[in-house]
Amino acid sequence: MSVNAKQLISDFKNGLWQENPIFRLVIGMCPTLAVTNTMVNGLAMGLATSFVLISSEIVVSLIKKLIPGDVRIPSYILIIATFVTFVDYFLKAFYPSIAASLSLFVPLIVVNCLILGRQETFASQNPVHRSFADALGMGIGFTWALLLLSAVRELFGMGSMFGLQILGDWYRPMVIMVLPAGAFITLGILIAIMNVIGKNATNDTTCH
Amino acid sequence: MEKNSTKAMIITLATIGIISAILLTFVYQWTIPYIEENQEETRRAAIKEVLPLAEEINQVERESQIFYEGYDNSGNRVGVAYQHSGGGYNGPIELMIGVDLEAEEIIQISILNHQETPGLGARITEEEYKSNFVGKPFGDYVVVKTPPSKTMEVQAVAGATISSSNTTRIVEEAVSMINNAYGGGS
Repeated sequence: MSVNAKQLISDFKNGLWQENPIFRLVIGMCPTLAVTNTMVNGLAMGLATSFVLISSEIVVSLIKKLIPGDVRIPSYILIIATFVTFVDYFLKAFYPSIAASLSLFVPLIVVNCLILGRQETFASQNPVHRSFADALGMGIGFTWALLLLSAVRELFGMGSMFGLQILGDWYRPMVIMVLPAGAFITLGILIAIMNVIGKNATNDTTCH
Repeated sequence: MEKNSTKAMIITLATIGIISAILLTFVYQWTIPYIEENQEETRRAAIKEVLPLAEEINQVERESQIFYEGYDNSGNRVGVAYQHSGGGYNGPIELMIGVDLEAEEIIQISILNHQETPGLGARITEEEYKSNFVGKPFGDYVVVKTPPSKTMEVQAVAGATISSSNTTRIVEEAVSMINNAYGGGS
C-alpha cells in the first residue's frame, strides 16, 4: 500500500476512535446533550452534522489559500452556515417530522465547535483528499457516539429503541434518562468505559 | 494587493457572502413548495381530526383571525376549528381546536407543533391527554394530577405539569377567541 493511501486511512480512522469527537475530544457537546433523548433524533443529528462537516471541510480546504488569515474564522462560519441552512431547508421539505423534533438544534449546527474546530486544525492546513477523509471519519465518529448515547437514554428512559417498544409493561421508565440530567450521567459513564477500554488497548504505547 | 489588507478582507467576506446567498436562493426556491405543502398537509390533517364529521371545510376570516368552518353533506355547520399557539415548557406549542358552537362544547384538539421533552411533555400529543378535552363545555379548566372527578377538570400528563397546564391555557384562550368571534361569550 502506498504511503498516500495509508495516510488517508489513518486520517479517516482518527475520528472513529482515537480522536472521537465526543468520547475523546469532548467537543460539540450542545447537540450531544440536547438531542440524544431518542435514537431517531441522535441519528438525524449525527448525519446532518456529518454532511455539514464534510461539505465545509472540502470547501475550506479548496479555498484556504485565498482567505486572508485575519478573516478566516468569519469565512469558515459563513461557509458552514450556508451548508447548515441547506440542511435545514432540506429536512423541512423532505423529512418534516425529523425537522420538527430537532427544531432549533438544526440551525445550531453552525456553532458546533466540532465543525469549526476541524476547519481550523485540519482543513485549513491539509489538501482536499485528506480533509475529506478526516471529515468522513469525524462525521462517522460523531454519529456512532450520538447513536450509542441515545440508545442508552431511550432504552432506559422510555423502554424503546427507534420508537419501538422493547421492554414490556413490567419496566418502569427512568424518566431522568430522557431529561438533560440523564445526558450528563450517560455521557460520564460512557466516557469512563471508553477510557478503560482505551487504556487496555493502548497499554503498550505511551503516546496519547 | 497585500493579503491581510482591509480591502482583501472585505472582498473575501463579500464574495463568500454573495456566493452563499446565490446558492441558498436556489435551495430555497427548490424546497419551499415542499415545505408549504407539508405545512398545509399538517393543517388539513389537524382540521380533519378536530372536526371528524365535517365533509367540507370553509376558511373564513372574522375579527382578523382565520377560522375553519366544517359543514356536513346537508350543509349544516358541524363545528369550527381554530389554530392557536402559546408557550410550552421548551418552546411554543401550536394546536388546532375544534368546537361545537351550538352545544358550546369542545369536539377535539390536535397538537400541530411542539418542542416538549420526549417521553414527558411530548405526551400531550397522545390520545390519553387529548381525550381530556373531548366534550368539555366552554369555560375555565382546572388541571389535576388524579383522574378527573368534575366536569371542568383536566388530568395532567404524569411528570409534565407545566406542559399540561400550558396546553390547557392555550385551549382556554382558543375557546374564548372563537366565542368572541362568533358572538357567543355567554
